[in-house]
Amino acid sequence: MQESGITGHFVAAWQLFAVALRRLVRSRQTLVCLVLIAFVGMVITAWSMRRDRSAEDFIEIFLVLHISFLLPIYCLASASSGIAADREEKTLVYLLVSPLPRPMVYVSKFSAAAVLALFWTMGSLLLMVWLAGSAGRQAWPLVWPSVFLSTLGYVALFLLLSALFRRATIISLVYALFVETFVGNMPGTAKRIAVSFYTKCMIFESAKDLDIEMGERNLFVPIPGDAAFNTLAWLVAGLLILGMLVFSRREYSN
Amino acid sequence: MSKRESGNPMCQFTSVSKWYGPVIGVNDVSLEIQPGITGLVGHNGAGKSTLIKLLTGQLRPSLGDVRVSGKVAWSPGAKRHIGYCPDVDAFYEEMTGRAFVRFIARLHGFRRGAAIDRADEVVNQVGMDERADRRLGSYSKGMRQRIKLAQALVHDPDLIVLDEPLNGVDPVGRLEMTRLFRKLVEQGKAILLSSHILDEMDKLADSILFICRGRILASGTLQEIRAMLADHPTKVRVGTTDVRSMAVELMRMPTVNSAELDDGEILLEVEHPTAFFRSFGELVVREGVDVDRLEVVDASTEAVFDYLMELANRPR
Repeated sequence: MQESGITGHFVAAWQLFAVALRRLVRSRQTLVCLVLIAFVGMVITAWSMRRDRSAEDFIEIFLVLHISFLLPIYCLASASSGIAADREEKTLVYLLVSPLPRPMVYVSKFSAAAVLALFWTMGSLLLMVWLAGSAGRQAWPLVWPSVFLSTLGYVALFLLLSALFRRATIISLVYALFVETFVGNMPGTAKRIAVSFYTKCMIFESAKDLDIEMGERNLFVPIPGDAAFNTLAWLVAGLLILGMLVFSRREYSN
Repeated sequence: MSKRESGNPMCQFTSVSKWYGPVIGVNDVSLEIQPGITGLVGHNGAGKSTLIKLLTGQLRPSLGDVRVSGKVAWSPGAKRHIGYCPDVDAFYEEMTGRAFVRFIARLHGFRRGAAIDRADEVVNQVGMDERADRRLGSYSKGMRQRIKLAQALVHDPDLIVLDEPLNGVDPVGRLEMTRLFRKLVEQGKAILLSSHILDEMDKLADSILFICRGRILASGTLQEIRAMLADHPTKVRVGTTDVRSMAVELMRMPTVNSAELDDGEILLEVEHPTAFFRSFGELVVREGVDVDRLEVVDASTEAVFDYLMELANRPR
């Protein structure tokens, strides 16, 4: 039976989510993420060979390895091809002529990319925590909320770029390398345009609550943890709504 | 039961124009599409694709209004009434043909069981039942065309838009698909068929839209459009045993402009074809002539299109 109205839309949105997720899992990006996870495993195994590692040490290597580099790459692999790949493969037409409202198409794509990106980012974090032993376990409650929220932020950003540009993967890669890695580590306030800045601020705040003193903190000039949390949360919501609007209004013509 | 709301035409364009920056795609187009097969004919870049994209809700008009069953074509409500078979040869290649059609059914709001049943039904309808469980990537062009058609039919739309549906389909397949189109028309569906194979249009289309430089040059049945081309008398070829005396008799008719002998037959230029054929029938009965050929040679889609293009390109 063909469902009409909102029930029909939910049936369609669920199916699109499932198909989008399955296609993402079976894509080449999965191999890239598996290689990165193996790389993380090797780095943390080597790092944890010294037995006097503390939670503070763990957070330091975590900030360099995971927040500044791996997290954007995992999200890029999951989200940047979301709509751009359908445009490239010319399969977007099937979604555009379906009765599923475009904002729901966008949310389905976002959900699929977010689930997969969270799997990679949280999975990678869990592997790091497990391999790092007690230092990792102590740091886990400090870092997971920021990883969770920044994953959603990156996915929302890269999916928006995917809705805007045909070559979204290249643009996202340039963003990840230039803004997140370069600008995000510059002194001053320029780094506030990077998602990783707010992630780090949340981690520093949590570390302070647990009396873990981060050496980098004074040089970094963070904003309060609550403000960073709110900024990231609003960023996710804002980018998602902006993406829905862009995708709803845009005419995709070859 | 048809999902179409009564009183509304299947599709209506009202003074529709679409610009891509400074380039115009369609220019002040007004038309209605009724049940039956409507052919869409035009050169590359004439505006066929823009017209189809406006109709299927992929583009929004810069000016004017496009409605499908009374609903704005861009809206989800209108898209329930449209089945679209695109010209691009693109699928989720890793899926099987049947899984792809099921996926499209689900996108149209079918629950799982209903999607399976409906997909099986249309896959069978397009003659792909035995081959539908292979991956799309392994299909021939003709098989892919059939699956594209199946996905367009899966939600039982009132208006079916087919963009080059017979490309790459073998002659037997063409015949089968042509029969299917006719069957759909018998069910009260409207089909808009864009094809560059003009011979197919002659056989298939009940009415034709000729488009050039974004404007509709002419619309209606081929006979209606041909009759409107007053500058081009209809050419009729007559084959008979006594060619010379028949030519003399025919030249006496007021509707015959000229007659010439060509390859043992008579080639006539005729005005007002309906009146001519009536008089011709009377002549044949009166004189007891054996006629072994009577054919209008320039009333095909291709001939009419050429005449229309000539008119369109004529300096004013």
